[in-house]
Amino acid sequence: MRETLEVINRMQADGVIGEYAIGGAVGATFYLAPAATADLDLFVTLPGQTGLLVSLSPIYEYLRSRGCTEQDEYIVIGDWPVQFLTPRNSLHEEAVAQAVATNVEGVPTRVISAEHLVAIALETGRAKDHTRILQFLEQQAVDRDRLKGIVERYGLSAKWNRFEQRFLKGQQ
Amino acid sequence: MKPKLQARMAALSFSEKIKVLEKLRDREKAIAAAGLRRNGEKTPRKS
Repeated sequence: MRETLEVINRMQADGVIGEYAIGGAVGATFYLAPAATADLDLFVTLPGQTGLLVSLSPIYEYLRSRGCTEQDEYIVIGDWPVQFLTPRNSLHEEAVAQAVATNVEGVPTRVISAEHLVAIALETGRAKDHTRILQFLEQQAVDRDRLKGIVERYGLSAKWNRFEQRFLKGQQ
Repeated sequence: MKPKLQARMAALSFSEKIKVLEKLRDREKAIAAAGLRRNGEKTPRKS
């Protein structure tokens, strides 16, 4: 992971990507007990690109020229397949902007906040996302008031109510 | 995972957790590769 993050930080310093933040299962691991995952989800902003139509080509060209290889929707950096995701709504933009600074073996990086990870999981809504939300709640790794604010601000209240009805009924 | 172990794992530093993740990932890869090898093996014919 160290090598992976070093390449990503260099790519940021070279201006290929703007701000970035780790999401997905690796991001969740910052707050929770580690759970197996094979890939790294990275939310990135792209300098000079706005709107819905964004191109990841500059990232791929940069990495290919440094010997990284593509594997399905991932590009392998170091020994981690990385999926680059661009913020597709204001929840994602806020998640990147408010990410938490940390480091892996001394290499600086940023991780999406626990509350934004839960909100994004709620928005995505697959079975594995629901499992992750439950892990955050069970391990008390989330600030409920901050989460409530995000859920309300981004129109996720109906989804949260359904989630509560389905998975948390009688537990609170 | 037992709650006590889970709490201990959750309290590790991010760097330590990443090392655990990498071990879990490599173990899963090895298991998957072993499964593929077994599937690829020819079963002996009954005479």
